[in-house]
Amino acid sequence: MSLRWFFILLVIPGLLTLTPLRATAQSAGGTVATGVSERGKQTLEDILARQKAALRGLKLAPGTAAAPAGAPAGPDTGPLGPRGNQSLSDIWNRWRGGDPLNLLKPYSADQVMTTSGEQWRLLRVEYIRRYAGWFPLGALVLLVAFWMYRGRIRIRAGRAGRKIARFTITQRVAHWFTAGVFILLALTGLLILLGRPLILPWLGHDAHSVLISAAMQAHNLFGPLFIAALIWLFIKFLPGNLFHPVDLGWILRLGGLFGGHVSAGRFNFGEKAWFWLLIIVGAVLSITGLAMEFPWLFADLRWLQLSTVLHAIGAIVLISVALGHIYIGSIGMEGAIDSMLEGEVDENWAREHHDLWYQEVTSTTGKEKEEASA
Amino acid sequence: MSFLQIVEGPLFWVAAAVFVLGALWRVGGLIAMKRRRDIAPPTGSAAAGFIRGNLRHFLPRAAFARRTWIHLVGGYGFHLGLFVLLLFAAPHVAFLDKRILGFSWPALPRWAFILVAEIAFAGLIILWVRRISEPVMRLISDADDHVGSWLTFLVMLSGCFALQQSHDALRATHMFLVDIWLLYFPFSRLMHAFTFVLSRGHTGATYGRRGITP
Repeated sequence: MSLRWFFILLVIPGLLTLTPLRATAQSAGGTVATGVSERGKQTLEDILARQKAALRGLKLAPGTAAAPAGAPAGPDTGPLGPRGNQSLSDIWNRWRGGDPLNLLKPYSADQVMTTSGEQWRLLRVEYIRRYAGWFPLGALVLLVAFWMYRGRIRIRAGRAGRKIARFTITQRVAHWFTAGVFILLALTGLLILLGRPLILPWLGHDAHSVLISAAMQAHNLFGPLFIAALIWLFIKFLPGNLFHPVDLGWILRLGGLFGGHVSAGRFNFGEKAWFWLLIIVGAVLSITGLAMEFPWLFADLRWLQLSTVLHAIGAIVLISVALGHIYIGSIGMEGAIDSMLEGEVDENWAREHHDLWYQEVTSTTGKEKEEASA
Repeated sequence: MSFLQIVEGPLFWVAAAVFVLGALWRVGGLIAMKRRRDIAPPTGSAAAGFIRGNLRHFLPRAAFARRTWIHLVGGYGFHLGLFVLLLFAAPHVAFLDKRILGFSWPALPRWAFILVAEIAFAGLIILWVRRISEPVMRLISDADDHVGSWLTFLVMLSGCFALQQSHDALRATHMFLVDIWLLYFPFSRLMHAFTFVLSRGHTGATYGRRGITP
């Protein structure tokens, strides 16, 4: 027996057995609807006969095998498959169930295949990949516009020359460690997410493949370091980052970005919001990242699909906001970077931007506390 | 000859020769350096002081332990991690076996390799960010310190890029950076990998001869 005949005799009946059209389905009235075999035309013998004829280079007369229910009637002169001249897509559509284009109806009661994969792909390609890059770019444009409008925020009274301790060396190292790992992850993550639409057309498949392979390895390696950094940062910066009624004034006056003085404690509302955004979204990124790095821990594929979506959205949000943090912490505000490079800030800077904290640390009790902790 | 063949072949051998000869020259020069003769009668053993001086500096003084814990953890994490990766990463063992030594030893399983790489990277990043965020450290650091740190980081990073072993370009990039690192090593403070024994030992021997615990 030739291999071809072995295939026809073994595989085709197997496919027909699996086909839901052949399987019985309970109708609403309790009657049993039967498959094609009972319609008498698309039987195994019929198909085998047609295959045999095709192999001999012969064609059967039109109408030898009827079209399935619902299919337009026509001559049986098309290519022959497991279901004669019926399109295989009909089989897959019935098998799949659900509606791949309707996000609200991903599953049907009698589904055999899930459609969430297609929805995930569409969401990723049509929305996330298409629009993700615009958010960091938009943040950059906003920052440039703000820079042009406001310029560098100066210390109005000038530098006093006297310094106040703001961050310990442990806090500074925790901050820069997190920042370094975050930048590495952001760069490699953007490469993975946007490499196909942005890099592939320019560099071609080979270079793109090399870049993505490298980015993926680095991203997977640095991901766990970000989790450790996040925990370290949370522990070191939690004191002072809890919300306080004075923050309401800061919110109402938009942090004084457009002028005017706003009272603030050790951290203003903007810094607190960034801290909690980083911790919460960072936790989401960590969990979803672990899910993607250890996919076998999740039995349901939909968790992984959800993880990739949340991971991409969360990362884009953090990267966009981080640009604002970097701007205001460096070129946007005079004296701000000193706190993270020197551990100390100028007294006038503290008075102008964190007056409540300044009063606290320069009061008698504050000085005593400083001396006690030194 | 492909770029990979060059960086794994002639360029690697040149770099390795410069590394070995340069390091020997530097260490030999330190040993041969003339010292002023100590005419005071010894009250202790200089040799014992040499050994004690080396061992003693593996741990910080109790008074500084709390202040220097980041340096300690980062330093040990990076250096030990780097040595483990260098000697026990499977691609390194295979390279040493096929290209240099002709014999091999058991390599780390992949999960252990990843874990050690995480520790080494964390340590190196911590050491460098401490260098830039501590005013005194920043002042006493020069370009050589930063170049050494970044070159080592790039060697490690490119090694991670090539982990999948699916592209020759990534392997070539890693080997190219390794070659540069080997060439740079003898002329930089990366030499501390060898000279730390001598500097600690010299201090230890000086004190040991005077009967003082270094």
